[in-house]
Amino acid sequence: MSVEQALFYSFGGLTLLSALGVLINVRNTVNAALCLVVTMVSLAGLFILLHAEFIGILQVLVYAGAIVVLFVFVIMLLNLRSTSLGAEHQPVMKLLGAGLLAMAAVKLATLLGADRRSPADVAPEFGTVADVAAVLYTDYLLAVEAAGVLLLAGIVAAVVLAKRELD
Amino acid sequence: MTPPVLDVGAILPMIIVAAGAVLMPLFEVLLARMIQQKRTWLSRPMTRELAGTMMAFGTALILGTALIFTLGGFLRPDRVFNADHPLIRLDAMALFLNAVVLLSAIMTVLISIRYLAELRNNRGEYYALLLASVLGMMLLTSAMDLLMLFLALELMTIPIYALAGYQRSSLRSNESALKYFVIGSFASGLLLYGTALLYGATGTLALDLIGQARFDQENPVALVGAGLLVIGLVFKVGGVPFHQWAPDVYEGAPTSVTGFMATAVKVAAFGALIRVMAVALGPSQDQFYVPLWVIAVLSMTVGNVMALIQRSVKRMLAYSSIAHAGYAMVGICVGTDEAYAAVLFYLLVYTFMSLGAFAVLAMATRERTQSGEIGDLAGLHATRPFFAAVMAICMFALAGIPGTGGFMGKFKLFEATIARWSATPADQGLLWLAVIGVLNSAVSLYYYLRVPVAMYMEDPRAGETEQPGSGFFGWLVLATCAAAIFLLGLMPQDLGLFWNLDPLAGAAAAADALR
Repeated sequence: MSVEQALFYSFGGLTLLSALGVLINVRNTVNAALCLVVTMVSLAGLFILLHAEFIGILQVLVYAGAIVVLFVFVIMLLNLRSTSLGAEHQPVMKLLGAGLLAMAAVKLATLLGADRRSPADVAPEFGTVADVAAVLYTDYLLAVEAAGVLLLAGIVAAVVLAKRELD
Repeated sequence: MTPPVLDVGAILPMIIVAAGAVLMPLFEVLLARMIQQKRTWLSRPMTRELAGTMMAFGTALILGTALIFTLGGFLRPDRVFNADHPLIRLDAMALFLNAVVLLSAIMTVLISIRYLAELRNNRGEYYALLLASVLGMMLLTSAMDLLMLFLALELMTIPIYALAGYQRSSLRSNESALKYFVIGSFASGLLLYGTALLYGATGTLALDLIGQARFDQENPVALVGAGLLVIGLVFKVGGVPFHQWAPDVYEGAPTSVTGFMATAVKVAAFGALIRVMAVALGPSQDQFYVPLWVIAVLSMTVGNVMALIQRSVKRMLAYSSIAHAGYAMVGICVGTDEAYAAVLFYLLVYTFMSLGAFAVLAMATRERTQSGEIGDLAGLHATRPFFAAVMAICMFALAGIPGTGGFMGKFKLFEATIARWSATPADQGLLWLAVIGVLNSAVSLYYYLRVPVAMYMEDPRAGETEQPGSGFFGWLVLATCAAAIFLLGLMPQDLGLFWNLDPLAGAAAAADALR
C-alpha cells in the first residue's frame, strides 16, 4: 500500500467516522458541530490528495474556519437543547429523511454500477492557486475590487448596527 | 501571460465614489478627534453638528465630481474597463442611469444634514454606507456579466440594510432593517440560484453570450434560471407579488433613507432588469411576455388599491412606489427600444417626484413626535408654504396631471405600448396593458390629492407651534425637484444644451445602445 493510499484511507475513514459523530451527538450539539469541523478538515485532506490544493485550502478556510464557527456561535448563543427542536420525533421528518436516504442510496448504486471513465485530461496547473489568481486579477479584476468594497461595507454596516451606545 | 489592457478612465466615477466610501470613516475619526481636543475649524468650535455637516458636504462633493465625470462619459460612450473580458460596459444607458442615481444620492445627502442633526445621529458611517451603495448601483446598471451583476446587487443592498436600521433607538427602524435583510437575502438567493442554473445551461456568465441560448420548453434549465433571475430583480424593484416587504421597510427606515431606497435602488434595479431583458433574454422575449404582463398589471393595481386605504403618508408612498414600479414594468413587458427609452425617462421623472415628496416628509414631520399620518401635514400651507407647495407639485406629478413630468413619463410609456399594439393588433393584451395603466392613474388621483387637501384645506393641529426649517440645502433640493418636474413635463425636448442633456434623446440613445 502506497503512502497515497494510506493517506486516502485514513482521511476517508476519518471523514466517515466524524460524519457519523455529527449524527450520533444529538444530545450535545456543540460536540456535533466539532465533529463537523473534523469532517470538513479531513475532506480538505481528500481534496489535496486529488491535487485540488486550492479547493482544499478553501474547504478549511471557508467551511472549517468560518461556517462551522458560525454554527458553534449560534448554538452557544441560543443555548439550544435537543428537546426544544423535536425534529427527530416528527413522523413527517422521519419519512422525509427515509425518502432522501433511499434516493441517495439509489443514486450511489447507479454511480458505482456505471463504467468508470478516466477523468478528463487537464493542464497540470489547472486549479492551482497561481492559476486561479491569474484569472481573478486579470479577467475578474473589477469583480475582486467590488468584492473588497463589499466586505468593507459589510464591516461598516455591522459597526453601525452593533455599536453599543450612540455618542 | 500578458497583463490585461485596462481602461481606468472608463470607471473613473466609480473609483471616485469607492475612494469616498473608503475614506469617509477615516474622515470621521479625524473629526471626532478634533471634537475631543476641542479644536476649532475656521474659528468655529468643532461640534458634532459641524462635523456632520462637513461630512455631508464632503460626500456631496464626491458624488458631484462623479456626476460630472459620468456626464462627461457621454462624449465617449461604450467604454469597457477590460476589453478582453468586459464585466461592465459604460454605454449610454449605464451613464444615463448612473447620472440619475448620483443625482438622487446628492439630494439624499443634502436633506440628510438637517434630518440627521435632528435625530442627533449624524455620523460618518451613514455617508460611507451611502457611497458604497451608490458604487454598487453604478456597477449594477453597467454590469454585462452575471457575476458582476450579483456582486453589484449585494454591494448596493447590504449598506441599505444597515441604513434602514440606522436609527437604532427606534423599534420600527430595527424591524425595517431586519425585514429588509431577511427578504433581501431571500431574493439574492433566488437570483444566485437562477445565475447558477443559467451558467449550467449556457456555460457562460456574460449576458450577451447567454442571449444566444434558446429559452423554451426544450431547455427547461435555462428557462427556470432566467425566471429566477428575473424574479430576484423584481423583488428588488418591489413588483407585485414580490412586494410585501416594501411598506414596512419604507415606513420603518429613516425618511431620508426611504427616499433613497424608493428612488436610487429602484432605478439601479430597473437598469439591471432592462439589461437582462434586452441583452440576455431579448431574442426569446416572448417566453417572458405573459409573466411580465401579470407582474405589471398586478403591481399597478395592487399598489394603487392598497395606497387608497393607508393613513400614514410614508406607507401610502410605499404602495405608490409599488404602483410606479408597475408602470415601469409595462415598458419592460412591451420590450421595444421605444418602451425601454420610456422606462428610462420615467425613472428620471420618478426620482424627482418621489424624492421631492420624501424630502418634504423628512423635513416637515418630526420623526420623534409624530406618527407620519396624513393629519400631521394638516395646515402645512399656513406654517410652511414652500414645503406645502413642493409637496403638492410632487403629488400632482405622481398622479400624472398634465404639465408635470409624471404625465409626460406615463404618456411616453403608454404611447410605446400602443405603438407596439398597432404593429401587432392581434395582441389585445398590449391594449389592455395601456387601458389598465390609465385607469390606475385615475384611481391614484384620489389618494394623492388627499395630501394637498390636508395641507391646504385643514387647520393645523392644536399644539403645533413651529415647524423645523429646511435650511438652504433642503430648500435647494425641494426647488430642484419642483423645477425638474415642470421642466420634464413641459419641455422635455428643449432642455438640452447639447444632446445628452436632453433626457428624452438621452433615454432613446441609451435604449439604442443596448442592442
